[in-house]
Amino acid sequence: MGLDLCTVGGKGDAVSMIVAEALHYAYPGGGDALAGLSLTVKRGRRLAILGPNGAGKTTLLLHLNGSLRPAQGRVLLDGVEAAYSRTALAAWRRRVGLVLQDADDQLFASSVAEDVSFGPLNLELPPDQVRDRVDAALHAMGISALAEKAPHMLSFGQKKRVAIAGALAMQPEVLLLDEPTAGLDYLGTRQLLEALGALAETTLVFTTHDAGLALAFADEVALFAQGRVIAQGDAQTVLSDANAMKQASLEVPFVARLAARLQGLGLPAQHLRTEEDVLAVLAAHPLAVDQISVSGAV
Amino acid sequence: MSSVVVTKPSAAMLIIDQLAHGNAWRHHALIEKICLGLGGLGVVIGQPGWVTGTLVSCALMAAAVWGARIPFGFLLRVLCIPAGFVVLGALTFLFSVDANGIHFVASGVAAAFTLIGRSFAATVCVCFLALTTPATDLLCGMRRVGLPRDVAEIALLTYRFLFQIAETAATMHAAQAARLGHVTPMRRLRCLGMLVANLLPRAFERARHMEIGLAARNWNGELRVQASAVPVSWWRVAAIVWGWICVLWAGRVMQ
Ligand SMILES: Nc1ncnc2c1ncn2[C@@H]1O[C@H](COP(=O)(O)OP(=O)(O)OP(=O)(O)O)[C@@H](O)[C@H]1O
Ligand SMILES: [Mg+2]
Repeated sequence: MGLDLCTVGGKGDAVSMIVAEALHYAYPGGGDALAGLSLTVKRGRRLAILGPNGAGKTTLLLHLNGSLRPAQGRVLLDGVEAAYSRTALAAWRRRVGLVLQDADDQLFASSVAEDVSFGPLNLELPPDQVRDRVDAALHAMGISALAEKAPHMLSFGQKKRVAIAGALAMQPEVLLLDEPTAGLDYLGTRQLLEALGALAETTLVFTTHDAGLALAFADEVALFAQGRVIAQGDAQTVLSDANAMKQASLEVPFVARLAARLQGLGLPAQHLRTEEDVLAVLAAHPLAVDQISVSGAV
Repeated sequence: MSSVVVTKPSAAMLIIDQLAHGNAWRHHALIEKICLGLGGLGVVIGQPGWVTGTLVSCALMAAAVWGARIPFGFLLRVLCIPAGFVVLGALTFLFSVDANGIHFVASGVAAAFTLIGRSFAATVCVCFLALTTPATDLLCGMRRVGLPRDVAEIALLTYRFLFQIAETAATMHAAQAARLGHVTPMRRLRCLGMLVANLLPRAFERARHMEIGLAARNWNGELRVQASAVPVSWWRVAAIVWGWICVLWAGRVMQ
């Protein structure tokens, strides 16, 4: 059942895992949410999707796990056009997990542990394994202590972590996360990134409004505007492209601007992603600090 | 250990739910609490008389307050409304009204006491269960004794939605108040109308999103979850049953 979807690699491009080709979609009674959008998700990489409110980020994620079906265009999984039959969708979702923007849309069970067990049970895993997966997912999200709590008694950020744990427990090949860090506190964000970073094999696609986070965490970035991708590529390149960023109503992140400056000064700053990276370069080249301030505001 | 802290003291229903989830006996097996609550109810029904009623009430209130650490004040608050009805009902035994006015009926005293004792005890039994056992656990138990799966799942989702809708309504209400929506009775009425009108489409939207969320986790039409197994202490069950037998016997002897 659905084995055609489960073969790894197979025919087609071995690197691109999910390909969206010229997707068009309009909500009933609305304008175009996706207007000929094309995007490639590469195996084992982390793709950040950035763009202003209403650009179509959530709508795209819903297409990438078959929750929405495009009016035009198609979605390819490992080079094979996705089908929308019951069995095909089940196999698709086995491989591609989704965490919605609002955790309340996802939690239904009477306790956190029960809710997280829902996905693994649907994978027909034996009870022991389900229990292990639930424990591991709760631990990864730092919410083991909440296991017996009712979802309606949790804070916004706690619910969010539960929703993510629910998807993690299914150990999908691709994990789609809609604004995973929105509403999380500093520690929560760090924990989430750590947990996601530990999933070396998993392909990640996440939307965010935080360009700095995308630079620090993503391998690749896609910029959205008005239902289209206006740029996709290496995170540093795209996020430093002032023109494209402006089109997507975004600002080039501080670290990227600083890196550009340092590179202008002939310093090895091609791969700076975080403030720590910048500080390390500055520590190695103390004179650069003066030069940066002389050459004007960053 | 510490007693239960009630964080959002909004409506009594929400507090009952919080206590049900957070009381000291939350993790005792369902069957033990059923034995206590429904067992008490059985005793009250099986042995009429105010003595049995009083003994059962005292036993269960003590269990709730000392055992499950339900705040005594809150327990009284929950009980006082049904108790009020019971007392009003009992008054009809004590007084009769005819053309000459209202008369005290001495022979009705015993009947009134019996009614109060039994009805109050029955109320305590039900409140004890409601305060110590989350509704979802009770559903789980009913499912095991034959409640159809579909009914149980609908009840579970309804329960979940009730809280979401209550929360949405409370948030909308606060948002209206923050923008001075409730300063005059006329505006308050208008705001209430808008709130109610908006809740339904929102609930529908919620349900639609919930379906997407469930489908993403390979929902196949059945809401299966792994409940954490609580070991039943048959010693405690036996002790409870023995306790109720003693109460039955005491009630019979002392009546
Ligand atoms: N349920 C819906 N019904 C009608 N139109 C919708 C619905 N959901 C989204 N839209 C419209 O589709 C477009 C794309 O919405 P989408 O939710 O994909 O944006 P987004 O990029 O995720 O935005 P945000 O950053 O605010 O989450 C928007 O113009 C929005 O108004
Ligand atoms: Mg969105």
